[in-house]
Amino acid sequence: MSRTAEGALILAAAMLGSFGVALVNIASRQAIGDDVALTFFVMITAFGALHAAVRRWAPNGSPYLIPLAALLTAVGLSEIYRLNPAMASLQKWWLLIGAGLGILALWGLSSGGTQLLRRYRYIMLLSALGLLVLPLLPQRWPLPIRGLAVNGSRLWVSIDLGVIQMRFQPGEIVKLLIVGFLASFLAERHEALAMRTRKFGPFELPEPRQMIPILVAWFASFGVMIYQRDLGASLLLFSTFIAMMYVATARNTYLVVGGGLFTLGSVAAWSAFTHVQTRLEAWLVPFEHYETTGYQISNGIFAMASGSLSGTGLGLGRPSLIAFAPTDFIFAAVGEELGLVGSVLILAIYALMVSVGMGIALRSRDLFRKLLAAGLTFSFGLQSLLIIGGIVRLFPLTGITLPFMSYGGSSLVSNLVLVALLVQISHEERV
Amino acid sequence: MTEFILAILKLIFIALLFLFVWQIARAIGSHLGGFERRKRIKAGSEIVFVRSENQSGLDFTVEDVVVVGRSDQADVFLDDSYASEFHMRFSSIDGALVIQDLGSTNGTYVNGRRIATPVGLSKGDAVQVGKTVMEVR
Repeated sequence: MSRTAEGALILAAAMLGSFGVALVNIASRQAIGDDVALTFFVMITAFGALHAAVRRWAPNGSPYLIPLAALLTAVGLSEIYRLNPAMASLQKWWLLIGAGLGILALWGLSSGGTQLLRRYRYIMLLSALGLLVLPLLPQRWPLPIRGLAVNGSRLWVSIDLGVIQMRFQPGEIVKLLIVGFLASFLAERHEALAMRTRKFGPFELPEPRQMIPILVAWFASFGVMIYQRDLGASLLLFSTFIAMMYVATARNTYLVVGGGLFTLGSVAAWSAFTHVQTRLEAWLVPFEHYETTGYQISNGIFAMASGSLSGTGLGLGRPSLIAFAPTDFIFAAVGEELGLVGSVLILAIYALMVSVGMGIALRSRDLFRKLLAAGLTFSFGLQSLLIIGGIVRLFPLTGITLPFMSYGGSSLVSNLVLVALLVQISHEERV
Repeated sequence: MTEFILAILKLIFIALLFLFVWQIARAIGSHLGGFERRKRIKAGSEIVFVRSENQSGLDFTVEDVVVVGRSDQADVFLDDSYASEFHMRFSSIDGALVIQDLGSTNGTYVNGRRIATPVGLSKGDAVQVGKTVMEVR
């Protein structure tokens, strides 16, 4: 597919976004409003600019990722607009900011390449750790930067400068930084970590000191869960680490040990923390807790069930009955209004994006780029899988966002940067 | 009446979404190559070395996939010091001949233009690698 085809598809995605908004308008008041044109304008500006930046600085990059991301954003924006028009206008700003940062990343890496990131490994690690503890800042103190707990999770940071007040979830950016650090770290240490030493029957165990990094990662993600009550981020962090170890060393020992530690951690968390037990109950028997903890999951299921095969149509269902639909349950809202057909389509888009990302990792000859592409793609795919799986009750629900679709600035911005990085990697590998 | 129109519009919306994803899925499939191994419509295209230091006049046919390069393991050996080990790949997809550069150092030129993505070829097109020129017959 050529760059021109990529541009045409981005145009098509922007048109589909405004088509979706138009459908919502017609359904609610039989007339088309200004938001239709505005949605088109914002989408074509954001993704068009990103496309132009790719043409300028990464002309050999993969042409598939940005149109797919644009389509997810188009469907997401239509559904957010349908649920809450005010949130949709905020999301448009975040989209522009995210595209801007994506362009900045492409520009910044245009001369030195992604290898530039390799040098700043410990800066990335330190800023990731710093961002992780930011939400633990006191909620009331004189400094303008404060921690914030929303719905029982200590994930937010609020910045209050008098004129501007904003809040963000540093966890989303931490994901990118950790993947960057690990790619750089493992690219150098993979040989030591891949050495096989002791054999116990079918398993090859590495030296005990080689297990230190894996234990550190385990404790770190456990800490995230205890202090921030964030199951999703903790699971994402640990799994991404294990996956990257596996990519770097090709030793299934790490998968076995990682799986074991994960089971151990889950059982420990379940027996020690009530909020974990509540999550598990709401997952297994949501209807028995319909009035309280199972309310959100139950309503998500009702929504998807009433959507049936082809959905009620945009603006014609009642997805606002689901609690936190624009942030956590956007997939259920899409399932209601575009039906099974629409949900399957969304899954197909994520599957395509993951396959393109993994393809970039497979074709990379440089280990650092390979690890970076694999880690970014893995965390992107796992995050989508966890939240969608939580909504359809495949897994316990975790409060993480659905990339490109959920309402949320931090998520949209970090995922646009993630896609820009993948495009940059694929460009470098083809030069 | 509005309900009917909205139902139709909804279906159009979903159909367009599918069309979009289908376009990309198909492009990814042909990019990876080998996915679309359906029956061949014609026997294959012939490619002739028209200008080369040592290989002028030689030819080969592309029936499925042919990798050309300076390596012994390439399907067709390319005797040119500017060529990479595995320089490029010709593939026959549904009777259409497609050329793809395999990340070569010095690039592949089709009718004088360096290619970055897979390009469809037709009769008479000239493919240049280093000092070697091939033509599609």
